Parts: sequence; C-alpha cells; structure tokens
Amino acid sequence: MGNKQTVFTHEQLEAYQDCTFFTRKEIMRLFYRYQDLAPQLVPLDYTTCPDVKVPYELIGSMPELKDNPFRQRIAQVFSEDGDGHMTLDNFLDMFSVMSEMAPRDLKAYYAFKIYDFNNDDYICAWDLEQTVTKLTRGELSAQEVSLVCEKVLDEADGDHDGRLSLEDFRNMILRAPDFLR
Amino acid sequence: MLSDDHVNEIIIDKLIASLIPMTSRDRIKAIRNQPRTMEEKRNLSRGGLTSMTENEGRAKALDKEKSKQTHRILQLNCCVQCLNSISRAYRRSKNSLSEILNSISLWQKTLKIIGGKFGTSVLSYFNFLRWLLKFNIFSFIVNFSFIIIPQFTVAEKNTLQFTGLELFTGVGYFRDTVMYYGFYTNSTIQHGNSGASYNMQLAYIFTIGACLTTCFFSLLFSMAKYFRDNFINPHIYSGGITKLIFCWDFTVTHEKAVKLKQKNLSTEIRENLSELRQENAKLTFNQQLTRFSTYVMAWVVSTGVAIACCAAVYYLAEYNLEFLKTHSNPGAVLLLPFVVSCINLAVPCFYSMFRLVERYEMPRHEVYILLIRNILLKITIVGILCYYWLNNVALSGEESVGDLLKVGVMVWVLNSVCFHRIIGMQLITSLGLPEFDIARNVLELIYAQTLVWIGIFFCPLLPLIQMIMLFIMFYTKNISLMMNFQPPSKAWRASQMMTFFILLLFFPSFTGVLCTLAITIWRLKPSADCGPFRGLPFFIHSIYSWIDTLSTRPGYLWVVWIYRNLIGSVHFFFILTLIVLIITYLYWQITEGRKIMIRLLHEQIINEGKDKMFLIEKLIKLQDMEKKANPSSLVLERREVEQQDALHLGERDSSLDLRFRRSVQEGNPRA
Repeated sequence: MGNKQTVFTHEQLEAYQDCTFFTRKEIMRLFYRYQDLAPQLVPLDYTTCPDVKVPYELIGSMPELKDNPFRQRIAQVFSEDGDGHMTLDNFLDMFSVMSEMAPRDLKAYYAFKIYDFNNDDYICAWDLEQTVTKLTRGELSAQEVSLVCEKVLDEADGDHDGRLSLEDFRNMILRAPDFLR
Repeated sequence: MLSDDHVNEIIIDKLIASLIPMTSRDRIKAIRNQPRTMEEKRNLSRGGLTSMTENEGRAKALDKEKSKQTHRILQLNCCVQCLNSISRAYRRSKNSLSEILNSISLWQKTLKIIGGKFGTSVLSYFNFLRWLLKFNIFSFIVNFSFIIIPQFTVAEKNTLQFTGLELFTGVGYFRDTVMYYGFYTNSTIQHGNSGASYNMQLAYIFTIGACLTTCFFSLLFSMAKYFRDNFINPHIYSGGITKLIFCWDFTVTHEKAVKLKQKNLSTEIRENLSELRQENAKLTFNQQLTRFSTYVMAWVVSTGVAIACCAAVYYLAEYNLEFLKTHSNPGAVLLLPFVVSCINLAVPCFYSMFRLVERYEMPRHEVYILLIRNILLKITIVGILCYYWLNNVALSGEESVGDLLKVGVMVWVLNSVCFHRIIGMQLITSLGLPEFDIARNVLELIYAQTLVWIGIFFCPLLPLIQMIMLFIMFYTKNISLMMNFQPPSKAWRASQMMTFFILLLFFPSFTGVLCTLAITIWRLKPSADCGPFRGLPFFIHSIYSWIDTLSTRPGYLWVVWIYRNLIGSVHFFFILTLIVLIITYLYWQITEGRKIMIRLLHEQIINEGKDKMFLIEKLIKLQDMEKKANPSSLVLERREVEQQDALHLGERDSSLDLRFRRSVQEGNPRA
C-alpha cells in the first residue's frame, strides 16, 4: 500500500484512479499483466509517458479474451486507432469498462460499439448477421440466421428505420436483467 | 465550416461547464461514467485544459475563447484546492478499506473462477449459498452471545457417555449439552449479590424472536429488490430473441464453457424460431383432447404419489415411536430419516420420467412443472412431519421433539451429503439426466434452511450445524464441478430464477416456519421438568409474567402501555392493515399510470420515425426534380444543404443524415 512503486508518478496513478473504477493495487496488477504480454516492448518506467502499443495478437492471447468470440471487436473498439493495438491507457479502459463496478449504461454503450461491425453508429442487418454467426459459430444455417436478424429488427427497432440506433439498443438491453452481470 | 473535431471540442466544453458546479465526488463519478478514452477523461478531470488535437491550426483559432474559459476554471480550482485534497484523501482511504474488505470477503476468488468457467447461472447458485451462510452466521452469533454463553456460566456437569453414533442421531450425550433446549435453565441467572440479573426465559424468547425478525426483514428487502429489477415491464418488451443475442455472458472465459454456451445459444435460438413457426400451427380437436387428458392424468398420478408418500411417512413416524419405546437400539432412530431421504431421492426421478409421456410446446414449461411437483412433494412431507410432531408433543415432551427435529436435519444431511455424492451421481449419470441441476440444488438449500428455522427454537445451535454443512457443501459442489465439468445443459435465465427461489424461500418456507412457531408458542404446553419454560402453562406466559412485573414498576409503564394497547389490541392491527392496503393500492395505480405513459411514448417514437422518413423522402423527391431541371447547380446545392445540417449542434446524427439518406435511397423500394 505504500509509495514504493516506481512505474508511475504519484499524479499519474491518481489520475488513473480517478478515471477508472480500479484501486491502486488493481491498477498495478493490471500494469504488470500488460507488461507480461510484451516484456521487451513495455518499459517498466511509465513516468515519461512512452508511446507503446502492444499488438493485437498478444492482446488476443490473454486468457480472458482468448476464447471470447468477440475478442477482435473488443480490441478494436478500445484501441486508439481501431486496429486492435492497445496502449496502456486503452488496456486499462477496457478492463475498467468490463469490470463489475462499471455502470450498465457505460457497458451498454460499449457493447453497442462492439456489435457495430462497420462502425457506422448503427447496428444494421449486416452487423446482426455477423453477431449471430460469431455467437453460434456456424451451428445455424444461413436461412435461420437471416430469420433471426429479421426477428431482432422487428422486436427492437423502435423508430422503424431498418436498423438499431443506440437508443433502441439501450431500451432493449437495459430491461434485460442478465445483461453483462 | 464546422467539422467533427470542432463539434467534439464544443461538446467537451459544455461537459466541462456542467462538471464545474458538481461536488468533487459527483464529478469523479460523472467522469468515470463517460464513454471516452482515458486521455480525454484525464483532461476533463484536470479541469478542462485543452487536449492536444492533431490539427493544431484549427485549435489555435479557438484558443482565445478557450483560454478565457480555462483561466476562469483555474481560478475556481485554486479557491477550492484544499477541499479537493481533503476529499481526495478521504476517497483514497475509502478505496483501501474496500480493498481490504474484498480480500477478506468469503470465497471471492473461488467464485470468480467458477463464474469464468461455468457462467453466471451456476454462479448464482453459489451466491445463494453464500447469502444463506450469512443468515446462519448472524443467527449463530446472536444465539451464542445471548443464550449459550449465559448458559455456560451455570452449566452442570454432563454425566452421559459419548459414543460415535451420536453424531448421526443427535441423542444420547448431546442431550445434556447446549444443543438441546431441555438443557437450559429456567432460572434468573445472578452473579454476586448486586450483579445484574439475567432472565433466561425472556432472553431465550427474545433472542430467537430477534433472529427470525432480522431474517424476515432481510428476506423481504432482498425479495423486493430482485422483484423490482426483474419484473418491471414483463409484457411490454418481451424481446425474447433480441435479449438472447445481445446478452452474451462476457465473464465466461474457459474454452469448453464458451463452446457449450454457443451450442446452448444456437439450440435456444432454434427453439425460439420453432416456437414462432408453431404459433401459427393449430392442433385438431382430437389432438388437443389427448394432450389435455395426458396432462390431467400426469397430475393425478403425481399428486397421488405425493399423498401416498406422506401417508407412508406419517404411519412410519407413529410406528417408529412405538418401536423405539419397546426396543432400545439407538440406531433405530435413523430409520425415519433414511426413509424420507429415499423418498426425496426417488420420487423426483420418477417425476422426470413423465416428460417421456407429456409433450409440452415449450421446454421451459417442462422445467417449471417439474419444479412445482418437486416443491409440492417436499412441502407436504415437511408439513406432515411438523403436524405429527406438534400433535405428539404432549405424549413425549420437548426432549423428543428436539430429537425429532434434529432428526429432520439429519434427514437433509443424509440426503445431500451421503446419497447424492455416492449413489446418486452414478445413478443419475446412467439415466442420462442433467448433472448440475441448478433448480434441484437450490431447492435442497431452501429445504435445509426451512428445517433449520423450524428447529431453531428447540435447538439453538442449529445455525452452527447448518453453517458447517454449507461449508462442506460449497467445497464438495465446487470439487465435483471442477472434476466432472458438467455445467447445466439447459439454458437458464439466472436472475429470474433467483427471484423465484427467494420468493419460495420467503413464502412457503419462512411463513410456514412462522406459523409453526406461533402454534408452538401460543398453544403448546412446555414440559414440566426441563427447559427454560418448565412449569409454565404456555410458552407465552413468560412474556405475560414479565409484563406483569413491569407494570408494578413506575419507570416502565410505557412498555406496558405499548404492549396492552398496540401489540395486544386488535384495532391497531386492523387500522395498520387498512393503511398498508391503501398504500399498496396507490402504488399499484401509479405503476399502471407509468405503463400507459411508456406505451404512449413508444408510439410517439414510432411516429417521429415515420415523420422523419416522410420528410426525407420529400427532400429526395425535390432534389431529384431539381436535378432533372438543373444538373450543373446540383453540387453547390448539396454542399449548402450539408452545411445547414451540420450547424445543428448537439444532434450527432447530422453528419449521419447524409449516410441515412443514401441508405434510404437504396432501401427505397422497401419503404
């Protein structure tokens, strides 16, 4: 609990504590996990704010993400340039939002971005097809997939414009008590 | 011309302006909840210093305005800097305290691993177990401090012998220990000549009463919370398939579990789709009749079996008593629990065979019906046993009531620990039934907790036994899960089921216990030669005599007044019930009103969407007409329209409207 760490300055650590849902110990633990992913790339001294990005392949090999069907989208959404390579800031952001202390609103926003494969701020039918395919991993036939997408748009599209906006998504999801618990 | 960056900057400034008047705690909370990158959040928290954008040129043009704002902000910060640092220190200490609490929270790490491997539904079972454990720890601590410790100070020596069988039967040596109600003294304990006196009778009743009241209120509040979270608008947004798709459980990390989940999801989606198709299919009259008659027959058979089991248990209990009187084999006491355990094991298996005969449209209904049948069976058996004990207490005194109640707990012990582990797993796997059936396991927990609550009056150490059992159960379930890796094969709505289970715990279980205890206290005659209530005509007379003593002391007349006029009078409860009913009715009306409002707002959203589409179609038509009339000025006009649209600040979809227009054009035939 003391100030023995030399990785961050006091102000940096405080800023991290203010901007994420983590305590000091958890931030340090996450930093060491980040460092473990690429020990040659990531310096042990962040006081000078080095510009280091860990490539997506290493992020995707983390045990939490390795088997997640959406790991590529998750990395893309949280990375700076949308290519999946993450800085420490992005890394902490990602874990902060996925932690259990993040409010549902925030999680809903990011879940929307994850399911929006073409990054056009709407979940259209193509995005839905991609989602369903990733979720069921080829168990459903193409016809079933399109049937499902049609049904989802029927149920969730509030303003009937053929795709889901953030509000439609939020409406649907925040009523589901099982969402991201 | 305004660009996305500029729009962003202005939004950030507005945000900063809104953050300034907040308290620092709210500000931190608001910043954390912002869906922005870490860098932007850092800048917000520093008080709005300009972030380094890539296009410095554009930023410089607006710097003058912003520097004025920053200057103002910095001034404000200077004034409240000490307050900020104090609140920051306070927040730090709160964080470290919560860190410590998390590290000592029971089983936190194990639960995380379980959640990662098996998902939230299995995790909910273990959470329920931990929640029940907290109840028992609390009851135990209260009982221990107020009843058991005073008893230890006047304890007599235990003269009976200890053999190993007592651990199972609970009689013999344990009869003269604090485990049994009969051991407690009825006197007023007094140490020294002027020391305070401790009335054991009152302490006994009040402690047990306090335990149960706390359980009651915490059950009530948990139930209300779960209910509110899960059943707010059940009929408005059913959204079955959508929720399936978007509620992927991100906490699951194990590869096999993920594959299993995907398989489950596809099965559920298929079921959902077939439900849709079947909605239109209608059965002929003959088919409907056959189906209805199978249902009726199945219910008749299952109820018949339940009644037969209850009758068997009742006659066995009577026979058991006579058998025990004539023979003195201590192991014979185990006969009744053995039989009840067998019934509890075999009959649910028999019930699940019914699914071969009955056909349900939705597999979910199958699960519910099975659950209801099992619950009915268990409740009736427990009810019969209680009825039997209450009726036969006059014959044998509470010692044997205590015995029999302890026997009840042993019923559960044998049931779950021995049979399920050793015999049940082999049997069940060979029959092909699901392994970690959450429903059945939770019902077992509820059943056990009911027995503990029933017995707590006669055996104050029961919470301790239950605690030990829950610990053992946690670790055995954990190990068996890890070794066999058989998560539930049926997809599950975890939180809705939890609501249902807590409701079960409250309604038949806890209220049943309260009724039994009420009958005991008001109607039963305590035994004449043991226990803290010996010699009284009814248990409740201890309270009556206390009130009588109090009424002779002038300082405590207000207690007597409360007792006589509030607790003892019927009018008070009548008026109270009326008030509660009126408040409930008012809240119900408010809820109805809100539902109507939600429906109206939803319709309004749909209408707005239609309006938007209409206007855009009109715009496209106009553009097309102008395009045909004047092809050269087309490009300029497009830009003008773009600019006008982009000027609508705060409406993010301004730049997206163009894309929308394009896609509407593409999708025009559908519109």
